[in-house]
Amino acid sequence: MSAEVTKVGIISCSGEAIPEGTVSRLATRRVLELQRPDVTVTLCLPLFLAGNEGERNFARTHPTITVDGCSKQCAKWGTEKHSDPVSSALVVSEILGNAGAACHRSCRETSETDLEAVWAVAERIAAEVDAVLATDAPRDAAAETSKGQCACSSPIPGGTVTIRDTNVTIPGLTLIFAQCAERGIPAEGGDGAALIDAVRIYHAIGPEDEAEYRAALIEAYRKFRSGMSGGE
Amino acid sequence: MTNDFREKTVLVIPCSGIGKVHGLIGREATYQVTEELAPQQTETMCLALLVKGDTDAVTAVQTHSCITIDGCAKACAQKNVEMAGGQVAKAIQVAEAFRNFRGAKPGSATSLTEDGWNITRHIAGAVACEASRVAASGEAIR
Repeated sequence: MSAEVTKVGIISCSGEAIPEGTVSRLATRRVLELQRPDVTVTLCLPLFLAGNEGERNFARTHPTITVDGCSKQCAKWGTEKHSDPVSSALVVSEILGNAGAACHRSCRETSETDLEAVWAVAERIAAEVDAVLATDAPRDAAAETSKGQCACSSPIPGGTVTIRDTNVTIPGLTLIFAQCAERGIPAEGGDGAALIDAVRIYHAIGPEDEAEYRAALIEAYRKFRSGMSGGE
Repeated sequence: MTNDFREKTVLVIPCSGIGKVHGLIGREATYQVTEELAPQQTETMCLALLVKGDTDAVTAVQTHSCITIDGCAKACAQKNVEMAGGQVAKAIQVAEAFRNFRGAKPGSATSLTEDGWNITRHIAGAVACEASRVAASGEAIR
């Protein structure tokens, strides 16, 4: 992918234990979805440890801004340990001061204070995105992802099956089949009900198409289990 | 509520995945358990602390039973706890819970619909039951 499409990565801490963690998460999403959707991407922080090498390369392929809830700066530390130095590191508690403590952890309790905190932090993130884009050299964006999406959801390979003479892509079909295999669902002799149930979690299947999907998935799963390239 | 897990018996740790509604459901289910359903038996902690390798966080998962709630099959919460030497008493995947809510429209990565809250309550109930079982069995603190 060309350097012109380089996007800024924003990595939020998870911050489950403190309100500022929820603010960090929501402000990051706000920038991704509303404020700078065309020039930003994200990645779940825990994927740096649990993910593969491609995911750990995230900060090498994107100028990255970390958004941490507190001064422990787990997102900055984790990103730099497992990937590359970040371009900018924001801390919600420093941006909001004491106002952060008045926010809530759960979205059920969202108040005007929470919303204002999210807006304030999002504005700051967006300003940092603009600054990074203005100064940071283009990078190899081989791991580029589409706008407003978590990078962890984009690289999952989809599988294609044919339904009513139309090719239909099912996101993550390989992973779904791998889980089915782990659960001991046989490649031969089944009625496809377990496959339909598993795929339906991630992909809408209308009642009128169920029979077509059932047959297509049985065949794709059979090929998957036999090590062929079907379903990919 | 700031990683105050020393006095609790079971740690509930969600992935807080930022890309999909599944991560938010796991996060909110965690709050329902730790704040309402089983506040005396459970507490949560920042998964990011484990990613960082924070000594207190690593010690906590090594000395308490953990219930992880992951949004997707990448199972980041479960894997990070296990890589830190922790014992996962129960690993829950939000996507699996969707089996019981076919056709549900749960919301987005930032807000939940009523369907989303129903799924959240369903998961929270399961986690609270498991936490009670673990606490009663004496497995909680090692």
